[in-house]
Formats: sequence, C-alpha cells, structure tokens
Amino acid sequence: MKDYVLRHLEEIVGPQNVRTRDEDLFLYSYDASFPEHRPEAVVFPQTTEAVSRLMALATEERIPVVPRGAGTGLSGGSVPVQGGIVLCLTKMNRILGIDAGNLVAEVEPGVVNQRLQAATAPYGLFYPPDPASMKVCTLGGNVAEDAGGPKCFKYGVTKNYILGLEVVLPDGRVIETGGNVVKNTTGYDLTRLFVGSEGTLGVVTRITVRLMPLPQSKRTMLVLFDSLDAASRTVSAIIAAGIVPSALEMMDNLLIRCAEDFVRVGLPTDAAALLLIEVDGADAGLDAEVASIEKVCRQIGVREWKVATSAKEVDQLWLARRTVIGAAGRFRPTVVLQDVTVPRAALPAMVARIVEISNKYEIPIGVLAHAGDGNLHPLILFDERNPDELRREHEIEKEIFSAALELKGTLTGEHGVGLTKLEYLPWQLNPAAIEITRGIKRLFDPHNILNPGKIVAQ
Amino acid sequence: MNTLTIQLEDALYRCNKCGFCQATCPYYLTTGEEWAVARGRLRLTRAILQGKLPLSDGAVRSMYQCFSCRACNVTCPSGVPVDEILIQARTELARQGYLPEPLAQMGRTIATTGNLTGEAADARRSWWQNLDWAPPQGGKHETVYFVGCVSSFYPQAYGLPQSMAWLMERAGTDYAVLGRDEVCCGYPLYVAGLEAEARALAQANVRTVREAGARRVMTTCPSCYRAWREFYPHLLGEELGVEVVHSTQWLAEAGLPLRPLEGKVTYHDPCDLGRGSGIYDPPREFLKSNGLHLVEMSNTRAEALCCGGGGNMESLDLAAGHAVAQLRMQQASATGAEWVVTACPQCKRTLSSVRSDIPLRVVDIVELARKLAVTD
Repeated sequence: MKDYVLRHLEEIVGPQNVRTRDEDLFLYSYDASFPEHRPEAVVFPQTTEAVSRLMALATEERIPVVPRGAGTGLSGGSVPVQGGIVLCLTKMNRILGIDAGNLVAEVEPGVVNQRLQAATAPYGLFYPPDPASMKVCTLGGNVAEDAGGPKCFKYGVTKNYILGLEVVLPDGRVIETGGNVVKNTTGYDLTRLFVGSEGTLGVVTRITVRLMPLPQSKRTMLVLFDSLDAASRTVSAIIAAGIVPSALEMMDNLLIRCAEDFVRVGLPTDAAALLLIEVDGADAGLDAEVASIEKVCRQIGVREWKVATSAKEVDQLWLARRTVIGAAGRFRPTVVLQDVTVPRAALPAMVARIVEISNKYEIPIGVLAHAGDGNLHPLILFDERNPDELRREHEIEKEIFSAALELKGTLTGEHGVGLTKLEYLPWQLNPAAIEITRGIKRLFDPHNILNPGKIVAQ
Repeated sequence: MNTLTIQLEDALYRCNKCGFCQATCPYYLTTGEEWAVARGRLRLTRAILQGKLPLSDGAVRSMYQCFSCRACNVTCPSGVPVDEILIQARTELARQGYLPEPLAQMGRTIATTGNLTGEAADARRSWWQNLDWAPPQGGKHETVYFVGCVSSFYPQAYGLPQSMAWLMERAGTDYAVLGRDEVCCGYPLYVAGLEAEARALAQANVRTVREAGARRVMTTCPSCYRAWREFYPHLLGEELGVEVVHSTQWLAEAGLPLRPLEGKVTYHDPCDLGRGSGIYDPPREFLKSNGLHLVEMSNTRAEALCCGGGGNMESLDLAAGHAVAQLRMQQASATGAEWVVTACPQCKRTLSSVRSDIPLRVVDIVELARKLAVTD
C-alpha cells in the first residue's frame, strides 16, 4: 500500500489504529472457515465519520475494503481475498441505548451478541437471534451474514429483528435505513437489502434492533435415538404435527462423542443421535406442549426421552450444543462446516444422503442440524496436511450442495456465500438472477471496492 | 529464524479457529485485537512452524505478552493446551535469543539475588521485623511456610504472611519459615520459557525443605502453590514426597471461628488456584461456613477473569494489566458486594491498584480470617 495512503489512514483513525506489519496482516487473513488471504493494512475505526472518510479515500484510491468483526464467520466472508484494507470494527462497540418502552436497542457493530443479551435481560427483554458463537460474534457480523441460531425456528433470523441501520456507502456517503418503528413501508426495504449482504454493499455503523419480552418459562428436552434416521423422522413428524418448539437441534453419534469429550456432562456416547428440544412461553401451556412432543417421539420410537430438571442441566446441554463445532477439532484437525438447508420434510432424505457421501469418500462427516429449520451443518472432518483428504473433502462439498439443491433446498441457510460457496452460486441462481444481483452491487459499489470477490464475484 | 519446533504440534493443529477463546481472554476483552488472543497466538506459532511467516518482534510479543491465566484452555472446545504450547514456544525462543529484555533482566535479577525484586535475601525477614513476635525459623518442623517473593518484598503485602503466621500460631501448627534461605519459586521463569533456570530454583527450594525435615509445604501464593505442586515434579522428574497446601485449603479445614461481617463479599478466583489447580470450593466453603454473605461475579470459578497481574505482564505491559483489573473490579462492583476477597498477594496488589470511586475493599482471605478471628 502506498505510503501517502497509509499516512492518510493514520490521520483518519490515529496511527495506533493502523497495522501493516507482516504478523498483523497474517492475523487478519482468516475467519473461522478454511480460506486465508492477507490484507495490506488492518484499520480499527471508532466512529462513523472515520469509516466515512476511510471509504471516501478507498474509493478515490480504488483500494478494496473488507469489513470484519470477531472473525467467527464460517464462509470466508471477511477474508480479504483481493488484499486491501481489513476494516475491523471490534473497537466500535458501544451499546448506544436500550429503549425498553419501545422494545428496541441501538448498538454499534462491534458489540458482541451475548453482551446485548446481558444488557437487555435486566429489562426482561432479549434479542432472539442466537448463533452458536454468540459469546464472541459481533452484531455487525450477524447483520452482514443474516445470522441464525437455535432459537430461529420459532423466532426467526437476524433480518426479522433489524429495524434500522446507519450505513456508510463505498463512496463515503452515510445513509440511514428504516428506523425504530416496527412497520415501515416508506420506499424500498433497504434495511433488508443490507442484512445478509456480507459487507458488499455498505459498512454498517449503527444498528437498531427489535427486542422481545423474555418468555416466562421454558422446558428443555433431551431425546436419544438408536438410529439417525429415527431422529430426523421425528423432527419432520414434530413439525407436521403443528408443534413449534423454540429450538429443535440434532446431533449424531460422532458429534455427541466430540461434545461429551469437552463438556463432560454425561451425554450417552453410544446413542446414534440426539435431539435437543426446547419449548418456551407462558408456564401454563408448556406441559401440554411437552406432552405432545413426547407422544410424537414415542410414536417414532426413542431410546430415551427426558426433560431437564435443573437450570444447570439446561445450561450444560446448551453448552454442549454451542461448542460442538469447535470440539470437533478433538477428532480430526481440520473442520469444514457446511450450511445447506432443505425443506423440513426433506430432512430425513438429506441426512441419509450425507451418510452415503461420508461412506463413499471415507471421510467422517458429523451431522449437526438446526433440524427444525431444515438447516444442516454437516461437519467434514479431515486433515488439511493430507492432499488426498483435501481433494476428497472438496468432492464431498460438491455432492452435499448438489443433494441439497436436488431436494429443493439452498446452499446456505445462515452462514452466507462468502468465498466457500461462490463457485456453486450458478447452481442455485439462474443467469438473470445473478445479473440482477450484480446490478445491485454495481449500483452501490461501482468501483467494486467493498468486499470484492464475494457473493457475486465480478 | 523460522525453525521453531515444538513437541505439541498435533495439539496446535487442533485449533480450528472457532474464536471462542475471545469470550474469556482478558487481553482480548480489553484490546479487541487478534494478536492478543489464543487463536491469533496459535495461528502465528503455526505459520512460523510452517515457514509462512518469519519470526518478527510482533510475533515474539504475541507469544510472550499473555496473562498466562489459562482462560483460553478452559474455554477451548477443541481442548488445545494453549499455555503448554506457548511455554514450549517461549522455551525455544529463549534458546534462540528472542527473550524480551525485561524478562532477561528478571532472569538475571533472580539468578543473583534469588528473588524478583533484586533486594538482598535478608529482606525476606522484613515482614516480621515490626511485630512483637517472630515466626519460627530453623530446626525440624512438620510444615514449612513458603512465603513467596510478593509477600516478602512488597510492604503492602506484608499483612498476608503476618496474618498467616498468626493464624498458624493460634492453631498450634508446627511450622517454620525459611527466611533468607527461601528463593523464588521459579514460576515467572518457567512460564517465560527459562526452564533450566526454573529447575535450578526448584532444586534449591526442595533441598532446603528436605533439610528442614518438613512433610508439608504451606503456601499463600497460588503461583508458588502451582509451582510446587505441578511444575516441580515435572522439572525435577520425581515426586517431592511432601504435601503442598494452599492457605485456602488449610483455612477450610482448620475450622477457625470468625466474628460476623456486615455486608456482602464476593470472591475473586486467582488463576493459578482456580483454573490452574482446581481449587474453587475450599475458600467459598470457608467464607460461607462462617456466615459471610457470598455473592458471585458474572465471570466466576473456571470462567473467572484474571486480576490483570498474571504471567509476566507487569514487566511487559503494565497498562494492559490495569485495564483488566479495572474490568474485574467493575464485575465485582456489579455484585453489590463491599469486599472483594481473594487468595493471592498478586491479585490483591493488582485489584487494589484500581483507582475508582467504588467503595470496594480488596482483601486476602487469610487477612480477612485474621481480622475476624475470635480473640477471646
């Protein structure tokens, strides 16, 4: 990067917030997925004005800018594949306000999801989207990827909770979208356009989120199965019965073993699969919901069915679920996680296909799913140091995508296209849809400087 | 050089970059920067091992500047032994001449004087010089009280050994202190990767305790405790044949009755005592059994935040430690407690150094026990 550009960056954010040493560039070359590419500078802005000035400079100099939060993305969305500047927003992390009367909160993009949960809980409120990485991932990143999580089965995903945004456009102009009202049809819904745009259209600098009253009560169930197929058929049956749990998560035997190795809570390591089911709401209605779920489970045939009896047990079960992706590292050194989503009735078929693919390529694939959403996270476990395993892993990804699309599903449910699904996009979107998407990108970012090479690489 | 080699390479590869270590790392929580968190440190180590990155000052800084609090070890779903990997990397770096100067200076000071501060060995007796009694020294005793450098050389910490000795006298414990014959436990050198130097200190201390004929080593410093209990057998390749006890365990068993205390207390888990040695319950049991109203902080037990005084950070980045201490004191304040009780002279020093309008008093559990002891 040219010296005068660096000096200009230092002038905008202060020299202590600009990094160019080799090791710093390396440290911002990755997220939690597989691809890596180094930027030429890492910049930590702290104000909207700084972001605006930086974007204006980047446009003038035609320098790629890649917004980044905690780097926990699972699709390479924040990997600076064309170099340029990594715009790290972790220091722009103030909770600007919680308006309990209006059920909204306003935050900067670097606020960690869990911190917002902790701040709203005393008001009896919560922010429903709860990615597994909620203790570390930032809300800016959640907006960029339209993050989901276990609770999304009942409550919906990030886009259902973003009321308004302040966004810096690639040329430095600042716009505000939406507001803090729950109904708003003034103009196109730009807020929704930005949510899930993976940092390719603008840099989000302020977020207005909708909050919900914390449910009065909840029940958490652990259901064990002797076959993976029975578990996935149970999920479809629960949904077909019209029951709406607040979470309906599935884990296969391999992942039960990985999770138990970390959390040590006594998960049965010989069960073929488990479902973690939660219902929430007014206390009075919950027992009936639990009874309906039990009935469906027993009709299919379960090995064991139980309701957690203490808050500690509930916490431990969720800890096991939320940490299992990382815990898979105990089994094999490299973990590639996919995010295909299929219509819910197709869940058993998709699970069966994953098992077949794993057997065909002789590479273990852990089956993890936000099963209630039909959202599967097959964890492909291999060793990247082995070239043959790396090749087979790539074939596996292709087959998983292909199977999901055959079942009328989608390439990604909540992790985004990023880099890892880029080459498969034409499998799902037809040429006209891709051209329209590219047109939107050009309208916002005519010089293609903002997170270039992602979603619809031009 | 790019020939860093470590035996724990397979463990290093278990890090799959999930980033969950950010949730509990004190350095990351106060800086928001990747070089300061386990994922970044491990990735740098791995890149250097693979020859993808040269060993630079920044990379070296990332491997040394760490509170050694082990929060990442506990949080890591993949079970990467981050502290062990970093100690191995530092050992290799030290061998190749990359030891940061403040740590090299510390090594020289300990080698010449036997302690961290550079004061004469005689100054280990300072803490009892203004008392109207003296702890026993010399001769054969069942217990040796290993006082540690912080309590011996920092006047604001003298209250800890004074209280501990008083309580042992009162309990009729057959004990002695080593006075000028005690040397640094070696912990700061061991975590800095100066293994041979740490081993020499371990040998000296073990010899002294064996000569005293003691069957038990009593500590009030969690780092000394962990050095004796965990590092010495590893460094010396043998079981010590002495029981190593921390004051919190002794207090929980001694059953000394206390007078009541107005107001709530919260307990700060010292890293080397809690995460490092698994001692969470004895101090809590002691406080509760004496009727104290104990309230927990948001990050507690295995997830407790470091006080900011861990590792060798006081020599390497003092301001970072202050920022962490500030954060910890905010957590303590949020509990509504009036007292922060800890069980470590370094935690007490660091937490006490936070300038704040919050009327919170920081005290070591031993000093609190002395203060509230029923004296007929």
